[in-house]
Amino acid sequence: MIFRKILVNSAEAIVENKLRSALTMLGMIIGVMAVILLVSVGTGAKRYITSEFESMGTNVIMVQPGKTDKKNSMGPPVSSSKGKLTLADVEALLKKSQTLSAVSGVMFGAGVVKTENATNNINIFGANDQFNQIFNMTISEGDFFTKEDEDSGRRVAVIGHNIKESLFGSGTALGKLIKVNESEHRVVGIIKATGDKLGFNVDDIVFIPTKSSLRLFNTDRLFGVRASAKSRSGMDDAVAELTAILKERHNGEEDFTIVTQVTMMESMNTILNMLTYALAAIAFISMLVGGIGIMNIMLVSVTERTREIGIRRAVGARRSDILKQFMIEAVVISVSGGLLGIAISMLITYTLHFFLPGFDMRPPFWILPPAFLMSFFTGIVFGVWPARKAAHIQTIDALRYE
Amino acid sequence: MALIDLKNIHKHFNMGEENIHALNNINLSINEGEFTSIVGTSGSGKSTLMNIIGLLDLPSEGQYFLDGVNTTLMTDDDLSKYRNQKIGFVFQSFNLLPKASALKNVEMPMQYASTYNKDISDGMIRKMALETLDKVGLSSRVHHLPNELSGGQRQRVAIARALVNNPKIILADEPTGALDSKTSEEILTLFKELNAQGTTVIIVTHDSGIANRCRRVLSMSDGLMKDSVQVKI
Ligand SMILES: Nc1ncnc2c1ncn2[C@@H]1O[C@H](COP(=O)(O)OP(=O)(O)O)[C@@H](O)[C@H]1O
Ligand SMILES: [Mg+2]
Repeated sequence: MIFRKILVNSAEAIVENKLRSALTMLGMIIGVMAVILLVSVGTGAKRYITSEFESMGTNVIMVQPGKTDKKNSMGPPVSSSKGKLTLADVEALLKKSQTLSAVSGVMFGAGVVKTENATNNINIFGANDQFNQIFNMTISEGDFFTKEDEDSGRRVAVIGHNIKESLFGSGTALGKLIKVNESEHRVVGIIKATGDKLGFNVDDIVFIPTKSSLRLFNTDRLFGVRASAKSRSGMDDAVAELTAILKERHNGEEDFTIVTQVTMMESMNTILNMLTYALAAIAFISMLVGGIGIMNIMLVSVTERTREIGIRRAVGARRSDILKQFMIEAVVISVSGGLLGIAISMLITYTLHFFLPGFDMRPPFWILPPAFLMSFFTGIVFGVWPARKAAHIQTIDALRYE
Repeated sequence: MALIDLKNIHKHFNMGEENIHALNNINLSINEGEFTSIVGTSGSGKSTLMNIIGLLDLPSEGQYFLDGVNTTLMTDDDLSKYRNQKIGFVFQSFNLLPKASALKNVEMPMQYASTYNKDISDGMIRKMALETLDKVGLSSRVHHLPNELSGGQRQRVAIARALVNNPKIILADEPTGALDSKTSEEILTLFKELNAQGTTVIIVTHDSGIANRCRRVLSMSDGLMKDSVQVKI
């Protein structure tokens, strides 16, 4: 029979068997929704993390002491005892570099901050006056450190929003003294509420000059060096120059590891892609389950409609007509299920995004054609067997079937 | 040449250990335009014979020529085509598609016919189906579903479906078996009319009243057939 006619017939058959069709579609709806939603979660997470990275400042170069194996360079490397970065390295970079716009040595450690009225566990972050420039932090009150603060190792502090709130409430903090690990520091600046920025909650950090922090932790070994390239396009040159300067100072040995946004994004992307693949695999399995659901119900449908098959064969349908009829029915069901699945997942994600704008799990548009095609091919793959079964029932047996 | 020509037809059914010899060496010639009835006790092989004549089933042995063509050599697709174009089958249990209207049921054989003959348009199918329903007296019931029709009306739909492709042969296996005597009489009259217009009719019946009004009666008994031609109708 002509394709269009079978299509109309199968659409009619689907409407005639609403409940059964709906149940069959459900498998496909869930399968396609799984595909779209899981991919959306994957890409949403990726988008979120990428934007986090970008908010950190785009030209950032991080230098960690010690050399880590390139192969497992996922995320910032852990410092090893071999290799050591000092303030002298930072000074050399500041003096010699042409390509860097800012350089800061950094220290990092846990600590306690106290006022007369309150005590707080916090993270202490040692940084110089240029650090602010590297990481794009906005100061809401006062100022970030000055070069004099750094050079003379003054006991001044720039504090995160939460620390200010918990220590001083709505009162003024600027100019007040706080005890950072028992050493008195004067608050000179307060950072605007920022939230998480690449694993740190900036709002929970107390920044003090690098020199003061080295004194506080009683060491000359920096946690690392942070720098920013003058331009994004100058990133490679900056890395090369930085490497050269440090190598020269370290007796020609590259006993440090450079991590840039590019390398970090790359390793992050590797992880995120793995996540997306894993989600895609799960989605694929649910698609498979949907397909098996279709096959099951089509098999039931073939048995239920044995008599119909007999009647159609008796009045002149060929095996191929019956095959086409059941194939098209399976495909129409799976494609309708697929389209419904697409519609429902769009509805869910867009509604969520509307009410929770920060929660952006809207599916990327590129997933829609594959999702549709997948439902189409699932219909074909899982429709073949039932349709072949239907086509090979003997006419007389089908007519005698009770 | 005979329209239907059965030569030494046997049909066996294997039911596990048991072998049923449902048709035992049937030889039968039926000419175009005949009105034949088949009688016999239940289980005597009437339906088996009808199914073979209607190309719904194949004989175990023997040759069957339909309109001069040896059907035993046909492919499955050819058999479908012959069922579609030469034969109209009417069943005791109507065998209508329960979820399709009278009209859709009658259109169905023509839908398949249109795959063999591209000249058959949707418009022609609709027109022929309506005309045929009119012919069997159901023009006011075309959009009814089978379960909205009486037994007699259902059988009329089934007859319209058998007729719609203008077959040479109408095969009716106990078409009045599920109907009361008045309705049976109407259905029989319909077959008589069709026969008068030239269609060959073979009808299986338990009703001796019906058989008595056919010129030719085939009596089946245990797979064997006795052919008799009545002079007086
Ligand atoms: N498909 C089948 N499988 C097994 N036995 C069958 C089958 N069809 C018919 N028979 C047997 O063949 C014999 C003739 O059956 P049938 O032609 O239906 O008789 P009638 O129509 O005269 O009542 C019966 O014994 C019946 O049980
Ligand atoms: Mg019978």
